[in-house]
Amino acid sequence: MQPPVITLAECSKRFGERLALRKATLSVAAGETVVVLGPNGAGKSTMLRLIAGLLRPTAGSARIGEVEAISAPKQVRAGIAYAGHQPQLYRGLTARENLELHLRLHQMAADTSALLERVGLGDRADERIDGFSRGMLQRLALARATAHEPVLLLLDEPASGLDADGRALLDDTLRAGIGQRTQVVASHDHELAARLGVREVRLENGGIA
Amino acid sequence: MRANRHLTTTIPLVLSIVLVPLTIAMAFWWTGEDADQGLSQKIFYFHVPIALTSYAAFGFGAFCAAMYLWKRTEVWDLRSYVGVHSGTIFGTLVLVTGPIWAKASWGVWWNWGDRQLNVFLILFLYYCAYFMLRFSLDEGERRRSASAVFALLGVGLIPMSFLAVRIAQTLIHPAVFTTNGAAMPGPFLLTFVVGLAAMLSLMVLLISVELRGKRAAARVLELQRIARGEDA
Amino acid sequence: MIGAALAIARVKLVLEIRRREVIFAMLLFIAATIVIVHFALSGDTGAGNRAAAGMLWAAVVFTAVLGLLRTFSAEHEGGVLDALLLAPIDRAAIWLGTALAQFGFLIVIEVVAVPIWWVLFFQSEGPSIGTVVIALLLADVGIALVGTLSAALALGARTRDVLLPVLVLPLLIPVVLGGVTATYGAFGEEVGGLRPLGFLALYDLVFIALAWGTSEHLLSD
Repeated sequence: MQPPVITLAECSKRFGERLALRKATLSVAAGETVVVLGPNGAGKSTMLRLIAGLLRPTAGSARIGEVEAISAPKQVRAGIAYAGHQPQLYRGLTARENLELHLRLHQMAADTSALLERVGLGDRADERIDGFSRGMLQRLALARATAHEPVLLLLDEPASGLDADGRALLDDTLRAGIGQRTQVVASHDHELAARLGVREVRLENGGIA
Repeated sequence: MRANRHLTTTIPLVLSIVLVPLTIAMAFWWTGEDADQGLSQKIFYFHVPIALTSYAAFGFGAFCAAMYLWKRTEVWDLRSYVGVHSGTIFGTLVLVTGPIWAKASWGVWWNWGDRQLNVFLILFLYYCAYFMLRFSLDEGERRRSASAVFALLGVGLIPMSFLAVRIAQTLIHPAVFTTNGAAMPGPFLLTFVVGLAAMLSLMVLLISVELRGKRAAARVLELQRIARGEDA
Repeated sequence: MIGAALAIARVKLVLEIRRREVIFAMLLFIAATIVIVHFALSGDTGAGNRAAAGMLWAAVVFTAVLGLLRTFSAEHEGGVLDALLLAPIDRAAIWLGTALAQFGFLIVIEVVAVPIWWVLFFQSEGPSIGTVVIALLLADVGIALVGTLSAALALGARTRDVLLPVLVLPLLIPVVLGGVTATYGAFGEEVGGLRPLGFLALYDLVFIALAWGTSEHLLSD
């Protein structure tokens, strides 16, 4: 699968009376990596969820390639990965079981030990994750998000809770993806875009600044 | 468009003003007294049309719910809500007129052998739940689709309730309509038809007036947003 | 589709085996309900077969609702629903897998509850057990389906725990009517042969169709 083009066209999202995203227009080229910066409540998460197709725009459109994100068919969803504020993992399962379920739903077979090793969880693979720290969950969430080799990677503040090693791992993952897949990363890290050498977009008060 | 909206209120208004008094007049002065039930049979001209009207309103609500899931425009959500709402209003009337008739005919307020009334009780509980669902979700996409899906489940529940009540019960409602068609003398049938038309036009009136109100409220919100500078 | 549903159902059963959050509560609840109603009928086993049949079905439905309150909680807690929605599976599979797990829970509690009911209400002659079992199985399908559907609708509601019983119970009234009638039949009363069982099967089919048709809209947004 080729990395897709992302297009937000005057995309707005309203929750009740609150306008979370205001006529955002953004296009991300195939294989491009974009860092979205902005204070809390600026609309970064809303934007990522709209791109992922987890929210329906109130007005305007959010497209992945040629299709509306909200009605993306299975074949398109297979190439998307989204990691948000919540780890999206079953707390009662072990790290390995969580990955196995994820791969099973993507109809893929992969070496879960190697995947866990890569994010530094090799020795905790068969522990239930309800005992994991925030940083460990974040690492596992990263492993989950990349396990099915997505062509579109959406990460929402992936560095929160990570230690220095973890952040290095995250940087490496993103760097490896540049040109290989389309990546959109919401972050508070003002140096991230410069470090990776990619474009940054600022969101303020629900609009692109 | 504006003239059109005007007509959807005016026509049913005029019809209601003419037909409702006409039904009352026909029921009390034109039709003769029923041989078995006497005066109490008069409520038939109201109870049954109200019940049928209520089904029509629920049906309208379900149809608009399906349209909403297809088109995803807010107006279908509003129409669906208003349909269910007026169906519930007429449903309440059914649950009021039913026991009156039951008391007069059988001497009890509630006859568990009355199939239609029992089905109505189930539907009434179900549609009350619709309002609870709607008002415990925050306004927005999720509330609209959850309401629509729930309203559509009614399409399954109505026939299932009829069948269930039929299977579970041995007593039978005094069937005025037999399977051979209406077994009513001419004036009775005509009064019934006029009564049905009266209730249906009342329903259309109710729906269009409420929709107008809702549209006006939505427009006010929109204007407030524009005033705040959020032109989306 | 079926594979994904089974994978989800399996996870839910594994979670339940590890944490035992739902089944124990359901078991205690149904046992307590049966005992309470038994005493409410003055402990009189002569209260009649109809009362006995009715109470079994009331207990089953209320217990099912108790179990439904936790239906999507594992997904809700960790944001797993997002992952499931993004997975390349039919959205119906999410709902089907959950309903399958719910069906399993109902079977487990009935395996315990039906003997208790039997012992408390019938000294010697009871209903024909085959009919009761078939009726319960058919009803469980419907209860699991409609319950899961309602639980999905109530997700994100402010008053989810209060709302869910209000949504589910009216939808389950036909199941209770069919089930009770089938159980009368099991006592040898004339209630139209296999019609109640046929009705329960029809109910399942109708709501499978409705749930299938609306599943794309159930969990998203």
